[in-house]
Amino acid sequence: MRIPCRTLLALLLPLAFLGCRNDDDVVEPTPTTPASTGTLRIVVVPKWEGGPFAMNTVYTNVSDYRVKVEAIKFYLGNVRLLTGTTSSDVKDVDYFDLHNGAVSKDWTAEPGTWTGLHIGFGVPQALNDADPIVYPPGHPLDLANATYWGWAQAYRFFQFDGRYDMDAGGTAAPALPFSMHTGLNACYTEFDLDLGTGVTITAGNTTTLTIDLAVDRFFYTAADTLDLATENQTHGTNLPLALELTNNAIHSFSVE
Amino acid sequence: MLLCGLLLVGCRKDPALPVAEFDAPFPLQLPPGAPMPEFPEDNPLTIASVELGKALFFDPRLSRNGTVSCRSCHHPDRAFSDTVALSVGIDQQLGQRNSPSLANLAYHPSFFRDGGVSTLERQVIAPVQDPLEMDHSIQRAAAAVSGDMHYERLSQLAYGMPMDAYVITRAIASYERTLISGWSRFDRYFYQADAAAMTESEVRGWELFTSSELNCTACHTGFDLSDHSFQNIGQYLEYADTGRERITQGPADIGKFKVPTLRNIALTAPYMHDGAITTLDGVIDHFAGGGLPHPNRSPLMTNFALSVDQKAELIAFLNALTDERSIDQVP
Repeated sequence: MRIPCRTLLALLLPLAFLGCRNDDDVVEPTPTTPASTGTLRIVVVPKWEGGPFAMNTVYTNVSDYRVKVEAIKFYLGNVRLLTGTTSSDVKDVDYFDLHNGAVSKDWTAEPGTWTGLHIGFGVPQALNDADPIVYPPGHPLDLANATYWGWAQAYRFFQFDGRYDMDAGGTAAPALPFSMHTGLNACYTEFDLDLGTGVTITAGNTTTLTIDLAVDRFFYTAADTLDLATENQTHGTNLPLALELTNNAIHSFSVE
Repeated sequence: MLLCGLLLVGCRKDPALPVAEFDAPFPLQLPPGAPMPEFPEDNPLTIASVELGKALFFDPRLSRNGTVSCRSCHHPDRAFSDTVALSVGIDQQLGQRNSPSLANLAYHPSFFRDGGVSTLERQVIAPVQDPLEMDHSIQRAAAAVSGDMHYERLSQLAYGMPMDAYVITRAIASYERTLISGWSRFDRYFYQADAAAMTESEVRGWELFTSSELNCTACHTGFDLSDHSFQNIGQYLEYADTGRERITQGPADIGKFKVPTLRNIALTAPYMHDGAITTLDGVIDHFAGGGLPHPNRSPLMTNFALSVDQKAELIAFLNALTDERSIDQVP
């Protein structure tokens, strides 16, 4: 019996593909199990003196300087929920770019009622020291975010950029640049936020926690004022300014 | 038989490619006296990885607008250094430091003049992403070269994966590890006991170099003629570029830079971290003067006096450190 050439090819080609098939490609059905975790939705809302904040808008800061903020980007790491002496890991690291205003992130969280939130401002050292090439697209530490200092093999933890001037009555756009980027492990700082009577996470559900970020407070704390006239640039250099800005920033977070 | 043949063809990576040849270890040629470099476990030196790394090293598609490659600032005929004080990067922007020679990077414990990066693989990321150099993200650079069939084949052979940012870092690092310098007349004289390899003047220069009075070998020692330590040589009283301090944040490191190799020194002018000294004559004058009294100046920086003839002999010796063959081992 003669088998037509086309028929033979039609029979053999699928076999050729089968020969190359990777066992990993076989998709096994996943049994559905009840959710044992919940979702903590963090919403970081930038504010100015308790009111709305918008990028590229001129505000007056604590020094009576006119300030136009152009970028706020930062990492939060080693996020944990706390209650009493118990803590539960929530997120190793995440990236916030407030270019378009408030940013929300959904993190898997253990059910329970939690009275505190532990946060690292920056990238924890183990992650900061790792080879960044291993982080896949979409990962907070993906190099595509342009947050990596190649020369120091370290991430920029916090980028705060904009323009300012000291002409309190001025009407033109402020022209003097400030650009303060903190990073290097020395700048990594952890702090706790008090959640009051508690935030409850339930399995299979999403709980929203709104965190205000007081941008005006980037320029001061009760003990210190950051004077843009003399303190306006840090890029891995000028560690004292980087630490000052870091300290101001962590005091800018509060739970709504 | 027909069936078996079709099955085999269907699975083969590339019927035209001699797989065994490309998967083979790279035959690194070490000069006499050169120690065997260490290779990271995740980046073995293979013919494929080195060939791919070389192709990428010379490929301007790694830069944002396709105009700058690694070679733009590291010229092979200059021992992979540059001829200008500060190299010109993308959009004609000036870099911040003098581009160093890439010779013998395989022996360096840290990279850049301030030692801020610990591996050659991670070093690759910095110039690609530096806004003054290539101003690209390494992922976009990878996207720009992915699909190049030659690269894709080499990538599969070297790393068993398609071209991506990971492959770029590994492959360029592999190529850079092959840039071993040790084929100079000095090497023949010193490592191969070829007394005729250097002139009498050059030998006298070598004796000056190793003398306790000049004490050059306190730092310029070992096969690479550098101990790769960080030293402040009193170039300035105030450093615009704080050097090692930028990495450590320690004031005691202000003005310290990695001791450079002296191999091919005649080819790598201008000198110093900022290319501020244009001739070997000027470099020797700086060291003879002991440098400026910066608080971090190395105690090894002490004055010495040289006659005109001795200075010429010292320079003659330094000229004898030029490789007599290309340090690029890839055809």
